[in-house]
Amino acid sequence: MARKQKNVILLTIDTLRKDVIGCYGMGESYTPFLDSIQDKCVRFNNCQSVGPYTQASFPGILTSSYYFEFGREKQISSKRTVISEVVKNGGFTTAGFHSNPFLSAFFGWNRGWNTFYDSMMDQVTDHAPYILGDVINSKVDSWVNNHTSGEEYTPFFLWAHYMDVHEPYVPKQEYIARIDPELKITDDEMFQLFKDVVLPRDTSDASKNELLKKLYLAHVLEVDDYAKQFFDNLEKSGVLKDTIVIITSDHGDEFGDHGSLSHDGRMYDELINVPLMVYDADCKETQVSDTVVSGVDIPPTIAKTFGLDSPESYCGQPLLPIEDYSSKGSFGEAMGKLQHKIKPTDRPAYFYQEENFRISYRVEDEKWEMFDLQADPAEQENIIESSSSAEGMKAKLTEQMHVVAFD
Amino acid sequence: MPKIELSEERVAELKQKIEKSKEIFKMAYDRFEVKDQRMVWSAGKDSTLMLWICKQFCEENNLPMPICFTIDEFDVFEEIDAMLKIYAEKWDLRLDWGINIDVVEASGWELNADVTVSDLTKENQAEIDRIGFGELERFPFEAESFIGNHLMKSVVVNKYIQDHDVKAFYQGLRWDEQPTRSEDPYFEDVAADEYTPEQTRYRPILHFTERDLWDATHYFDIPYCSLYEQGYRSLGAKTTSLKLDDKKAWDQDLENTIERAGRRQDKEAAMERLRQLGYM
Repeated sequence: MARKQKNVILLTIDTLRKDVIGCYGMGESYTPFLDSIQDKCVRFNNCQSVGPYTQASFPGILTSSYYFEFGREKQISSKRTVISEVVKNGGFTTAGFHSNPFLSAFFGWNRGWNTFYDSMMDQVTDHAPYILGDVINSKVDSWVNNHTSGEEYTPFFLWAHYMDVHEPYVPKQEYIARIDPELKITDDEMFQLFKDVVLPRDTSDASKNELLKKLYLAHVLEVDDYAKQFFDNLEKSGVLKDTIVIITSDHGDEFGDHGSLSHDGRMYDELINVPLMVYDADCKETQVSDTVVSGVDIPPTIAKTFGLDSPESYCGQPLLPIEDYSSKGSFGEAMGKLQHKIKPTDRPAYFYQEENFRISYRVEDEKWEMFDLQADPAEQENIIESSSSAEGMKAKLTEQMHVVAFD
Repeated sequence: MPKIELSEERVAELKQKIEKSKEIFKMAYDRFEVKDQRMVWSAGKDSTLMLWICKQFCEENNLPMPICFTIDEFDVFEEIDAMLKIYAEKWDLRLDWGINIDVVEASGWELNADVTVSDLTKENQAEIDRIGFGELERFPFEAESFIGNHLMKSVVVNKYIQDHDVKAFYQGLRWDEQPTRSEDPYFEDVAADEYTPEQTRYRPILHFTERDLWDATHYFDIPYCSLYEQGYRSLGAKTTSLKLDDKKAWDQDLENTIERAGRRQDKEAAMERLRQLGYM
């Protein structure tokens, strides 16, 4: 008997650092739910995003291509193929639910979805300028129930994206209390902190960096609860057993790790090294991959699960089964901005990683950096001058850079 | 003689879609008196199809047509204006016009001129505050900017519903027009809140795709505005609607390109979010 075609869900969590997820064993856990499903997951310990902020990373996650591959675009290029287009053209149903303006219909991200919700016409507040995770969950839940209500349904690919961890960092009081019961701060005070400290990237007061990190962690607890609710809903709808859920993040966030805040165009671990796990109810035990993989590998993985070929434009390869994956290192690029907004004088920055070495190059100041992530996980000692592999890494990075023209 | 040749199956399919729309009209007529109904008619392709189907439904059942309502955003294509007037007369419709005249006057009757917020009525000032621009002193007068769209459309519709005690309101929306609409229901009871009176919204042509619409329009000789022949796919305000192609709307690649890509308000909504996140 033919195996039943599974559904695929891609659950992306904006701005989620890898080191706050307990199962990665990098410190204290703020994700009890994600930790609890590990026995049904393939976990990737070394996934690199292709860019340190949403516009730069999502071309990898949804189109298996790089940010500057088609120049600088106002809307995503027609030369890119969104994974939704591949799956929909393959005869399956697609649905996307999110609240990130950089991924809205206006920028062309609505291509290939039978249903697409980007929330842009909905009312939001300054304190939370996006739709919260529980609303995303309820939209997904009603879509899933509606789609699967008949005796048979077309297998689906669904993408849901949570924005909750993303600044301005105004979490709910109940989650702040779980992080630090002593901490008393009002919503207005938190928002003021975002305006006074995060937007200007002012790291001069270490206690404020610490406070911001606490507020961030409160959001992580919150989003872990949303993920739990998401899975509970799938279970109740009876589809979880037939669904593969890929969970990842588009990039991390910085709290003074390298002297700044938020997530700009820099290629350090706290921004680039992202969580990636693939849940499958049929998984017998935790599988772990330590190989360097990339965000561009996600669309080919989804296509393969539906038995579909990847378009030629796809740069990645299927992640599963992990023993068939042969690492080609991972590459990424973005505007090398060092502040909240992109300035006309900003120029690209690039990185390439192979095993435990990551090299990066900033065009604006022609600065090369290289770190040994095993010996120096905090990336403090630049070994570009001393490492014997620096020249080889430079050549590999240079080969992959997409050069961008400026007027 | 129809303007296009379609297979028998395709014609049957379109007829079935029209019948489906008539069922929605029947639901509305069974529940509400015609005096309490209004139809938004912009002379765009969608609301004209809706109006035409309603006309068929009323003729078949010997019922009066609902009153039509059109919004004058001040920045209107002459072709649209002419079509509204010609068909209102030809089809013997009552057509009400709504305009937020206070905003137009404050602009000195000039597009893109600065409007000083304190020159506006208290009601309009409250509306600006409500959408998060309470600290703003002035803004440029544009029909489809974030503020302009709210003041020149949403506010006008809400006030009209209030003033005329409208209970049933027809909207010519389509599921495939933008994917964010893809779950809209055929009818929806909207509870009253501070700004919107209680009403039921009916959307009789949700199931028409853009291709269905053009096939039906040509096959059944439904009137359409000449701007679609020039390449416009979606009509909004005159100065902010763009044609992305010179081909006639129905000759464009409807299935693989974005219908509303030439419209301003989608951009404005995304830009507003980016502003709130500090990126603009």
